[in-house]
Amino acid sequence: MEEVSFQMFAELFFHTLGFWWIIIPAMLLGLIVGAIPGFSAANTIIILLPLTFAMEVEQGVVFMVALYASSRMGAGIPAILVNIPGTAGAAATPLDGYPMARAGLGQQALAMSFVASTAGGLLTTIIALIAMPWLAQVAFFMHSVEMIVVMLFGISLIATIAAKNTLKGLIAGLFGLMIGAVGTDFVYETPRATFGFLELYDGIPLVPALVGLFAISEAFLVIEGESILTRRGKELMDNPSWKASIEGIRMSVKRWWHITWCSLIGLVIGVIPGAGASIASFVAYQQSRSYSKTPELYGTGHPEGLIAPEAANNGVTSGTLVPLMVIGLPGGATAAIMLVVLQFHGVNFGPQLFGERPEIGFGIFMAMAVTYLLMIFTILPLSRYMTKVTIVSTAFMAPVIISFTLVGSFVPREFGFDMALALGFGVLGYIARRTNYHVAAILIGIILGPLLEQFFLRAIRMANGDLTVLFSSRIGNGLWIALVVTIALPYVLDHLRARRRRRETA
Amino acid sequence: MQDDTEASQPRKRALGAELVIPVAALAFTIYYFYTILEAPWTAQASAFFIGTILIILSLVFIGLTFRWVAKGEGDWSFHTLFEPHEYVKLRLALFALTVGYIAVISFLGFTITTFLFLVLAMLLLNRGRRAKLCLSLSAILSVGGYLLFVVAFDTNFPEGPFEILMNGIL
Repeated sequence: MEEVSFQMFAELFFHTLGFWWIIIPAMLLGLIVGAIPGFSAANTIIILLPLTFAMEVEQGVVFMVALYASSRMGAGIPAILVNIPGTAGAAATPLDGYPMARAGLGQQALAMSFVASTAGGLLTTIIALIAMPWLAQVAFFMHSVEMIVVMLFGISLIATIAAKNTLKGLIAGLFGLMIGAVGTDFVYETPRATFGFLELYDGIPLVPALVGLFAISEAFLVIEGESILTRRGKELMDNPSWKASIEGIRMSVKRWWHITWCSLIGLVIGVIPGAGASIASFVAYQQSRSYSKTPELYGTGHPEGLIAPEAANNGVTSGTLVPLMVIGLPGGATAAIMLVVLQFHGVNFGPQLFGERPEIGFGIFMAMAVTYLLMIFTILPLSRYMTKVTIVSTAFMAPVIISFTLVGSFVPREFGFDMALALGFGVLGYIARRTNYHVAAILIGIILGPLLEQFFLRAIRMANGDLTVLFSSRIGNGLWIALVVTIALPYVLDHLRARRRRRETA
Repeated sequence: MQDDTEASQPRKRALGAELVIPVAALAFTIYYFYTILEAPWTAQASAFFIGTILIILSLVFIGLTFRWVAKGEGDWSFHTLFEPHEYVKLRLALFALTVGYIAVISFLGFTITTFLFLVLAMLLLNRGRRAKLCLSLSAILSVGGYLLFVVAFDTNFPEGPFEILMNGIL
């Protein structure tokens, strides 16, 4: 591997900065596509493949990376302002972001989300750049058994997220897992619970589920008010100023440690192929709540509940590129598309890449770092003016949400069926919201269902049906212990806090 | 006086509505099991494991519901799903328009269907007022959407007469 030095990084930084004319348009495009459900960075890179194939390899890399990184930040914008995550990775963002927007603190919430995204993304990119050889080892140690425990971490969050009623949270999450297991099985391709629809043989498509559970159900609910804002929120929005954005920045800078460790959670989970931003953001959210002094405020507009998922899902961005560059194993969908483009340009992955073509090997991370640096300049204007969305009358907003998100659910597979499916999920989401079942819990289940089944089957088949394989690895067992501690810790901390309160009042 | 007392009392939980999700989960799981009864074990293992837990939890919730009703904490009503009552008709009409949008879009294409849906839905939600604004906004959004997504991003949206005509022109 190339001798790593400060001078080399400095030269690479200024070299990459020279591509600002590619980074800025790609960044703006990424912010837009990230904010629209159904238009992920992966889809957009696929659409623009002819463009990236035609570019010089370095230019293509910079373009894809800038688009990828900014789309993560863009996905948080509708999640906060209208309760519709742009991608599944931002599904935990509205839990505290939307209540803030409703209370007229949308500007503050956006500023916090942007700071968490840029700072978290920048920090993890720098760490990935320096610690790449060691981070790549994580992917080598994560086999099926370890992945099952990581998935179970995700599932344990279901009950925690819906902590006001754990039973309802578990029912919603397990219902999601069952829905996520619709389609053919991974070995013999036996169709399961497809209601005879060929369109469901590949499983439940994620975008219609996301659109239905969040966007459509929200649109049918918001029509009850003139706008999504509460009375206090309206008063605050009547007097907009830069102060709210600056306050949001100040609040997030004050929580720099929170941003740091949540983005590190994202980085480590991102390195694990298949885990992804959705799991990372929920794991970070749950960890943040577990160690919070005010866990009862999570879900009501808690600043740390917003910072945690945004820092984590941006930490994932650099994490997914680590196994791609070091062992040629993409950590996610967008990384997989980048692999195709880079292979088209004749780039060979592996340790030799960093010696032979450091401008690509290290350059991909430097491009991400430069993108995050440039994104800092968008924080103030974006948070100041995008908040205006919240004052739009729901009589205009609801039809726009319904029509554009339904068409968004059509885009990935181009099946009219997917729009009807999104409406079906919309009805489910509406009932769930009205009866206090968490739609995010159903969504986590749908995301994790097929993944869990895949790893479960792989582990069992390799062990010839022996279930004790689940406890056969040292790392796996360590993760099992960590899982139990994670589930038990909130109860222990609650107990300790109650005891301290009793002692203080006595 | 009696009315005042009733109004000040907290409303009972609409447990009929709260049962919709567990009952749906139960029905879906049973249907799922039915489809995998004769499937190889690889198709069954994970589903039986998760499904069994889901059935147990749903039955626990149903059992608890009977207890809550017996204790007077709730009733079998569905009122939370339909409140506030003055919005029921509006919501149903919007739902019907959405069903129409999905049904028609494959024939009329994105631009025309979106325009029609936006005009009708905006007029509906504005209760017939601000017609000019509804019309102009719908036109701008549907044509703007076409230009942004189809022309600029080259996205494959459902095609209809407008898109076919524009393909010929552009």
